[in-house]
Amino acid sequence: MTDTTTSPDIDARDELMPARRRSSRLLRLLLSNEFGLAVMIAIAFTAFATTLPGFTSPFSLFTIGRQIGIDTMIGLAMMAVIVTGGLDLSVGAIGVCAAMVFGWLAQSMGVPLALAVPAAILFGGLLGFINGYAVVRSGVHSFIITLASMSIFFGVMIFLSKAQSFNALPPEVTSLGKMRIFGKVSLLLVITLVVCVALSAFYRFTTLGRQMLATGANARAAELSGIRTGRIITACHMLAGALAALAGLMLTARTGAAVPSMAGHLGQDWLLPAFLAPVLGGTLLSGGRVSVAGTLLGAAFVTIMTSGLLLMRVGEFWILACLGLILLLAVLTDRLRQKMLRARGLI
Amino acid sequence: MSATVNRLFDNDWVGPALVCLIAIAGISWLQPSFLSSFNIFVLLSAIAVNMVVALGQLVIIALGQMNLALGAFGGLVAISFVAIMELYGVPPMAAVAIGLAIGTAAGAATGFVIARTGISAFIITLAALQIFKGINLGITEAQPFYGVPQVVKDFGNLAVIGPIPWLVVPMVIVSVGMWYLLNRLRIGRYILAVGGNPTAAELSGINVTGTTIWAFAISGGLAAIAGMMLVARLQIGQPTIGDDWLISSFAAPVIGGAVLAGGHVSVAGTFFGVVIIAIITQALVLFAIDPFVVQIVLGALILWAVGINRFREIRVARHNEAR
Repeated sequence: MTDTTTSPDIDARDELMPARRRSSRLLRLLLSNEFGLAVMIAIAFTAFATTLPGFTSPFSLFTIGRQIGIDTMIGLAMMAVIVTGGLDLSVGAIGVCAAMVFGWLAQSMGVPLALAVPAAILFGGLLGFINGYAVVRSGVHSFIITLASMSIFFGVMIFLSKAQSFNALPPEVTSLGKMRIFGKVSLLLVITLVVCVALSAFYRFTTLGRQMLATGANARAAELSGIRTGRIITACHMLAGALAALAGLMLTARTGAAVPSMAGHLGQDWLLPAFLAPVLGGTLLSGGRVSVAGTLLGAAFVTIMTSGLLLMRVGEFWILACLGLILLLAVLTDRLRQKMLRARGLI
Repeated sequence: MSATVNRLFDNDWVGPALVCLIAIAGISWLQPSFLSSFNIFVLLSAIAVNMVVALGQLVIIALGQMNLALGAFGGLVAISFVAIMELYGVPPMAAVAIGLAIGTAAGAATGFVIARTGISAFIITLAALQIFKGINLGITEAQPFYGVPQVVKDFGNLAVIGPIPWLVVPMVIVSVGMWYLLNRLRIGRYILAVGGNPTAAELSGINVTGTTIWAFAISGGLAAIAGMMLVARLQIGQPTIGDDWLISSFAAPVIGGAVLAGGHVSVAGTFFGVVIIAIITQALVLFAIDPFVVQIVLGALILWAVGINRFREIRVARHNEAR
């Protein structure tokens, strides 16, 4: 079943032209987003490390790692929906809602963390299910559905919480956010790395993951080969909701409080990191291709650039403009790369 | 009889107009101060600005795209408008022209990138949103400009006659202009054709690249007008102007029957969409309901309108099949 429904297999095409096989594979690696990003990260890191004192201090590395962890998780949440060719504007709203539910459970209800954390992640999945169900049943593009739901989720959350934050969380929450492994690495980054490995395996080896990719690549073909695309799309939105909830929890651990405004008005502040990381990492907006490693590298690049520019005392607001420019340059480079690959007959 | 009623409801604006009438009647019955001349003035001022914002999104929806950067254009123009008057003493009329030029140029540049690269408007306008918002905050450092000349303040504060504010004047001009553009001018028809079916439009000789740039330039110009109207209304050059345009700019055209895939929009419908949103926002204030509920209501309104549009599409499709 899975074998017939996977997206076009590149290796199968390589068999047809064995002569070019080895060189084209190397070229493809060199032209891949992941390789390009790794090079850019290396250059940026070396440049900042040699010119800015304090950039490589243990504390700086710790905060950079923590930020990479959170931004990657936000990017993965969006990636889970981009797979289907859709998008989810409500990731920020879901993340904040889940964090607030966690705060309410842990602070007001006295629920132990071991229960409150899974409950909040499940809640995120539930909100994602609402999105997915509405998208599939109405047949309306996910842009407009999630535009409406981000407004509704955020509005209900603010209404119920009266815009008050939960800032008397159990002390374990803050200590988790501060926890370091090997003295430099944030626990949050480790969590993200574990999730990355799990997601890669999920998309590569499980039936559900392959079906998600197939649905995104060509929904009609997937439907004809027996995949229930409606359910798959709903599942993608649920996964996005759960990942967004996890990102919200990680942000709560970093801040030490569940704050309604932690993702800005309507959760809009998450939109840029959410799209930047996957798009830089080579996830196709039209669906059907994901790159978990690329998303991680994309978030790492953005975080290193932001931290470096901040240390150089470039105003916080100009960095916002820089990130917009990076996004623009990233999509333009991607276009160019695809053109080159096509001209050489590699795709 | 029923055929006439049916045909009437085929017009996009009839449904929203009815909802407006019922809402006005109901709220003024419960709360007579709703129809006080002061309240009407406030309501019309809000409608005027929001209508121009909605039209800025409408022209892009007609093209079958979306513009996330609308608020960023408006905000940047608003603070530049006040800044050049305060710091360089530019006369207000010249400042309006410069503001309009900035908005149109920003829109045209965004449209150029989208049209030439063929990358989805979503991602390009998301990038444009960050760039223009970043420039805005970088210039102002998030501090407002206070030096708004008296004539601009008066424009936002005074009435033409009775409870009708001056702000309504640009709204009427822009609305009529947009209707004329979409229904009578070649570029408007081109925009709708590209929105309806880009391939067919291209094959029939329409310059899709040029049309896209035009549409985004118009959108940027309208955002500029709305931003400057908001400066007049708020009496201050706030860097946060435009931050909350995103949801309402989509809600009003969709309530007015616009098809998000492009090619079908209604200026009159959008107007009643704007009125519905303004009435609901006002009613929540009048009945002292938590202002955050507005967010929930706006989201629910979008879903409701999308549902209605979908239902009408299915009905039209069935009707065509039966024939």
